Amino acid sequence: MARKHLLPIFAALAVSATAQTGQPYIHDPSTLAECEGKYYTFGTGGGGLISDDGGWTWHGGAERPGGGAAPDVLKIGDRYLVAYSATGGGLGGGHYGKILTMWNKTLDPKSPDFKYSVAKEVAASDGVEDCDAIDAGLLYDEQNNRLFVSYGTYFGNIRIIELDPVTAARKSGAKPVDVAIDCEASDILLVDGWYYLLGTHGTCCDGVNSTYNIVVGRSKDIYGPYLDNLGRDMKQGGGKMVVNTYGKAVGAGHFGRFVVDKGVEVMSCHFEADFERSGRSVLSILPLTWKDGWPKAGKKVSNGVFSIQSERRGYALELATDFVRIQQERQAWWNAKPDDPVSELPLQKLSDMESTWPKGAAPARLSDYMLRPNQYWQIEAVDGKGGYLGNPYFKITIKGTTRTLAAGPDMDVIVAENYTGDDTQLWRIEQCTDGTYRLMPKRLAGTTSDNTKYVLYSIADSTPILKEWDNGDNAKWNLVAEEK
Amino acid sequence: MKRLLLITAFLPTVLYAQNPVIRDQFAADPTARVFNGKVYLFPSHDILQPKPMPQGMRENWFCMEDYHVFSSDDLIDWTDHGVIINQKEVPWGNPTAYSMWAPDCVERNGKYYFYFPDAPKSGMGFGIGVAIADKPEGPYKPVANNIEGVNGIDPCVLQASDGNAYLFWGAGRCAKLKDNMIEIADDTPKEKVKWGEREFEMMGVNCLKGLPSRQAEGPFAFEYNGNYYLTYPYVRTNTEVLGYAMSKNPMGPYEYKGLIMAEHADSCWTNHHSIINFKGQWYLFYHHNDYSPNDDKRRSVRIEKLYFNPDGTIKEVKPTMRGVGVNNALSRIDVDRYNTASKDVNTDFVDSSDTFKGWFAGLKQKGSYIVYNDVNFADVKNRAYAIATVRANKNTKFSIREKNAKGKVIAEFNVTVVTEGRFRRDYSGQWLAVTAPLKYIPSGVTDLCIVADQDAIDVDAVEFKNRIEYYSNATGASSQPDNDGFVRRWNVLEPIPLDINTNILFTDSYLAQILGDPKVQALIKTVPNDRQQVKYDSKTTLTWHKIESNFYNVKLFRFAEQYGTKIYGVIFPVTTVIECDDDMQGVRLMAGSNSASKWYLNGEEILTMSGDRRMVRDDCASKSITLRKGTNVLSGLIINGPGMSDFCVRFIDKNGNTVKNFKVK
Repeated sequence: MARKHLLPIFAALAVSATAQTGQPYIHDPSTLAECEGKYYTFGTGGGGLISDDGGWTWHGGAERPGGGAAPDVLKIGDRYLVAYSATGGGLGGGHYGKILTMWNKTLDPKSPDFKYSVAKEVAASDGVEDCDAIDAGLLYDEQNNRLFVSYGTYFGNIRIIELDPVTAARKSGAKPVDVAIDCEASDILLVDGWYYLLGTHGTCCDGVNSTYNIVVGRSKDIYGPYLDNLGRDMKQGGGKMVVNTYGKAVGAGHFGRFVVDKGVEVMSCHFEADFERSGRSVLSILPLTWKDGWPKAGKKVSNGVFSIQSERRGYALELATDFVRIQQERQAWWNAKPDDPVSELPLQKLSDMESTWPKGAAPARLSDYMLRPNQYWQIEAVDGKGGYLGNPYFKITIKGTTRTLAAGPDMDVIVAENYTGDDTQLWRIEQCTDGTYRLMPKRLAGTTSDNTKYVLYSIADSTPILKEWDNGDNAKWNLVAEEK
Repeated sequence: MKRLLLITAFLPTVLYAQNPVIRDQFAADPTARVFNGKVYLFPSHDILQPKPMPQGMRENWFCMEDYHVFSSDDLIDWTDHGVIINQKEVPWGNPTAYSMWAPDCVERNGKYYFYFPDAPKSGMGFGIGVAIADKPEGPYKPVANNIEGVNGIDPCVLQASDGNAYLFWGAGRCAKLKDNMIEIADDTPKEKVKWGEREFEMMGVNCLKGLPSRQAEGPFAFEYNGNYYLTYPYVRTNTEVLGYAMSKNPMGPYEYKGLIMAEHADSCWTNHHSIINFKGQWYLFYHHNDYSPNDDKRRSVRIEKLYFNPDGTIKEVKPTMRGVGVNNALSRIDVDRYNTASKDVNTDFVDSSDTFKGWFAGLKQKGSYIVYNDVNFADVKNRAYAIATVRANKNTKFSIREKNAKGKVIAEFNVTVVTEGRFRRDYSGQWLAVTAPLKYIPSGVTDLCIVADQDAIDVDAVEFKNRIEYYSNATGASSQPDNDGFVRRWNVLEPIPLDINTNILFTDSYLAQILGDPKVQALIKTVPNDRQQVKYDSKTTLTWHKIESNFYNVKLFRFAEQYGTKIYGVIFPVTTVIECDDDMQGVRLMAGSNSASKWYLNGEEILTMSGDRRMVRDDCASKSITLRKGTNVLSGLIINGPGMSDFCVRFIDKNGNTVKNFKVK
């Protein structure tokens, strides 16, 4: 009986604008880490979450010893580095904090290789000074083989200290540097020669009244000054908003960046309270966009009707059929007087043209966007088929029909007559860092494993095919909501 | 030579005072030398035997593949200059012999000559090689061949006042060096020596012939007050002692005088040493297996002061954990290397799987104590605090006192290992950093005594820290706004305690009610004098403090720590006087505060900053206001639940430019 009750709830959750599905309940999640096809994130208190389906459905089971608050995880070479804080945080523990690091060859608790190294203290606060050494955020600069950790809370300063990338001990002679005030849950990024310091402002742990929000400043130097978009130093409270409230969830905290592909990134965070889930604290994975050198939470695709327009030419994806002219009373504009009355004309209806459509599968093509029924696509999340970082798979059908966008033979894009639920008819839709989207079929025709490379691609202005993601305009699409 | 050059780029490692002095690696056979006013230490470098062991390596034996050189200005902080020679770089040496035993280094004519034993590529026994550098820290370039005619270990070069350099090695043998420092002088005598059935021809003179010298090795010769001292380890009964003999000539004959140091109390079989005079004090460098108690082939360097009797003989030196050097109170002091302790105190490793993490002292009961000498408080300022790294099994107390267990209390610590309540935590048996304010700051150099005042406690280290000076007492008639226009001079009233623990309740109407309370408003009606007292209610008398912030923001949290009865859940009334030469119209107050606040100019409310706020520069702007010619009174009421309360305030003009042309009184 319980199962019957649960099912409709899950159906509703699949379209949630904000959070992950399953049991994504976590506070202070680490950056996401991938290990042998599974994704992991660790939270305050000990454990963490695992996703077995590519990053959409999450459940408990990740293991981390040491307890304490707000860990971070990072893959360096073939090892995983976990940083966490054992004490501090003010709540009964005072502000005597310690940042510790430890390694593991795998994050899978069931693997025979799963064994954490002995934790090493890399930074501490004495309880009186302007710092509380908790909330680690790791940065590995692969190019220069340098490792840094940021840490701290509202109790004083956020600090950065350099670690040895081999041992993850504090680098010999390294001293912590103050980089921000009034933050917690900091993280550092290195993107295109800029260092970004992300911090969480506001108040946590007060449910739907929590004001947690993620802000960012940037610097050319790892040790700052980190300035916001106004040039205001984060040591003077500066910070540009990355996300606070999203969908029906409030209190974003504990930023983590995960690069899916060049040009496709996601951010992880928790929301203090999801109104759709009893106000619980949930893991959320959102697209991460970059504009003028500033990161911002992007827009997840959600169920709706859209025109899918190429970034290459601006043409709209359509079912290839005859263009059916709309009958209009002849009224040359040059004959109309300015004070002639106007009225709204009806758009072309599906019934006006569907009878002319071919039987069976038809090609997809790109053409001028003319508000026509063969150009409107219903995008709808599909339950029970898994997903990827941030979303479930979607089916894409011509609005009002069962004609379904699918991966066809020879890398062609076709419109099948009916939706069968086959993996070639399921689409991964991710927002790119520039705000456009990429569309990727779950499986290519005639293959047996999931596709992670081939995307909807303008090989010509008017011809879509499937081709490897190259982060160029041919591979990018804009989703324009239906005119009603 | 590429390798040697690279090595000089190694980052130096800062190490600590006390014994042993090299704390991140094993180091034995310490030869110390004074060059250019600094002490340079040339030890041999014990390592664990490689696995699998090279063929022919003796099990559980000494194993050394390279040399490091260390330097120090004060015998406390040692800089590791990295590897100066590896066995693979010795042209004549066996690259896998792991036999880089006790070395020496001397300066002559501006060059540094590093002498070291090694196993030759072919043949038996040991040779002695030389590597030469322009600086004591290297890079050192090895000479192609070892010193011809010298077979043995443990070189020591004595540069005598007769102008000659003498090489001592092995069991006290000595020969004169040529001026090139890499060859034995041509007139060196030779003698035939029988060893078992075999007979050898040896260069030089055996200076220990006929003296107590069973299994003698590691000779160290020096000259002082017209006497030559030949000091050396030998076996008196079962393990080595350090003995010495004196002579009027470098090559003897020597007369045995007695012990410099007796056998190690535990099972460390070897000892090996050097003696220097640094800044007028004599020191003995020696070794002991501190970090490797179960394996006496991995040793560590120690230092003690050494004294002479009026007749030139040497006073016997007792080994200590404390060693030498005055600790700055503002640095970490490993008090587990104490001088004396109550009988119950034990010493053990913090982590027996990584002994380099050092030791702790276990104080077993109320009244237990340890005394650690020579800590310098000269740099410790008023309001400094103490930090101790300790471990306990239940909540307890201890204190740091001056000199002895009955001495003046410097700091008293409450150690809370279990906290009850909503966020219960249990740190029993875990190492914790605990802090305490200083009750008394000793002047100059003194001894510390750590006393258990309630129950058992393990102590690892103590340290004293100065507080940041967030603000000073305001001096002078007035001050200016700072470069960014921030007002730094304020009268701040000791905080009014409230019963609040969140910042989220600071709505506009809540602030109007709480901050608008006539009792609160009365406090900012007039400009107070420094130290003026006000009666807030029947229970509460509060004092104004006129301060000058040392930062753009005023750190109210730190002010509350110093003067308040509470640091969280408080209202801070602040007021200052802005004096202008002319009327300034269309000005706005720009403020940031943690948490909410209200601001008043000349008695009129000009800005409310409600809600859960962090202090952000230019967070809120007031309505347009006029700063009058003459005196303006600017006041604020800042209210705070949790978090570190502070604020920053400045003015901008109509065009958004910072206003700075006023005085703050």
